[in-house]
Amino acid sequence: MNGFKIFLSSAVFSFRAQFDWLNPVMWLTMKFVLSVSQMAFFVFVGIFANAPIQFIAVGNALQSISWNTVFSVINITGHDKWDGTLPLVLATPANRLPLFIGRAMIHVLDGLISAAISFFFAAVLFGVNFAQTNPLALIVAVILTAFTMAGFGLLIGGFCFFFRNPMVFANIFTFTLLIFCGVNFPVQSLPAAIQPVSYVFPLTYGLTAARNAISGSDLLQIAPTLAQQLAVGLAAMLIGYLLFRSFENNARKTGKMEAV
Amino acid sequence: MLHWMADPQWVIPNIIAPFVFTTVALTIFGESTGPLGLYAVLGGGMMGMWGNTIYSSGFAIEFEKWQGTLEEVIAAPSNLMHVITGRAISNAFFGLTNMIAILIIAVAGFRVSLGIADPLMFAVSLLLTLLSVSALGLIFASAFVLSRSAQALTNGLETPLYIVSGSMFPIALLPFWIHPAAYILGPTWGIDAIRLATSADYVSQSFWAGMSPAMAMFLDLTVMLLITLVYVLIATVLFKIVEKRARITGTMVQA
Repeated sequence: MNGFKIFLSSAVFSFRAQFDWLNPVMWLTMKFVLSVSQMAFFVFVGIFANAPIQFIAVGNALQSISWNTVFSVINITGHDKWDGTLPLVLATPANRLPLFIGRAMIHVLDGLISAAISFFFAAVLFGVNFAQTNPLALIVAVILTAFTMAGFGLLIGGFCFFFRNPMVFANIFTFTLLIFCGVNFPVQSLPAAIQPVSYVFPLTYGLTAARNAISGSDLLQIAPTLAQQLAVGLAAMLIGYLLFRSFENNARKTGKMEAV
Repeated sequence: MLHWMADPQWVIPNIIAPFVFTTVALTIFGESTGPLGLYAVLGGGMMGMWGNTIYSSGFAIEFEKWQGTLEEVIAAPSNLMHVITGRAISNAFFGLTNMIAILIIAVAGFRVSLGIADPLMFAVSLLLTLLSVSALGLIFASAFVLSRSAQALTNGLETPLYIVSGSMFPIALLPFWIHPAAYILGPTWGIDAIRLATSADYVSQSFWAGMSPAMAMFLDLTVMLLITLVYVLIATVLFKIVEKRARITGTMVQA
């Protein structure tokens, strides 16, 4: 029960903390602007190149989750360092696992809102056809993508404890997804040598599952892909947690926290 | 420039975003024929300038707020606009470096053949476009002084500007109601001139189809310079208003 309370308060505070520098109206505005602008940019590039725009619109709709679950989650580490709250986090006797994972979980919910807005834009502005969609399969694929991508965010966030400026890593890893995960073009379009890298990212599996669900596949049919995605996401979360503990132990021994 | 370089975040708008967007565009264009490589490569370079200018306008103010030095900058007898102008121009110049990275990716990775038909006009167009982007950055910077959300605005403005200015595709593809917004952006005309300087064949797709490439370039640059002049006038007025308001209300940092 205590672990759950830590998980919950960690989640709520990590979300509320962003309103120190961002007001709620701006947060909502940016949610709409960011969702539609990235999708529109690549859709117009697709129209110019005669590429399948439904593929691009769906890819960007699901990738919008990453701005919350990867970018924001990695930046939790950055804000702790900038705002001087990292020593307080490390000083608390709270159980580390719910504390660490809880910080990311509210961003999963935030990411789901982004995805809902983006899929709405994909249908209304870019004519994505959801007529064949299996709703249950799509909803599960989207939720699992948000959860597992938060795991990936925690992995990079854990790694970023060792660096001064997590914001750079947050950008690199959020943008990199656009190349590797099959967001705008199939993974098979990448050179064969780098295609295996795509399967390190949970989003790659999520996109495959979501596109299949939109084409009519049911939950059982996409289950193997979702199982792989879950395994990759949980592994990322675990490695991120181990990195966090390793940083904490090292910080206690050396007295170095923000100034790595 | 040194302040900018001291923080590794400069790689985000300067290298990472244009690199990723160009790589994705070149992959989408794939085996397509026509001037697609031209759009992707020059567009990627343009996006580097855009990104750097918006980012530096937003973050120049944000960093001063975070570090508690904005009050000193505004209290100094130097004109705030002169301080920000120096930063905007140097950062836009710095954005040019990403064009080299993009050219390497395009030529080495995607085998895009990119000759420059008129190197002199290419350089002139690039330089004037850079000044135009910097002038627009001044308008953003003046608004960002009063906002606590400059960072969010910076992130939110970047991609819409890439779209509206037609960095990677012709603006004719955009809905008609967006066209006026494209026409009041100086860099929209600048990228048209840069494309013309790169390939004379592009003239049939430029804003001045039917004219000679030289005349089309001249008109593009003239329109852009007029728009840039208007930006500078607007920024001058805005900086005076914003600076005065910040001094009166004392909300410089908590805006």
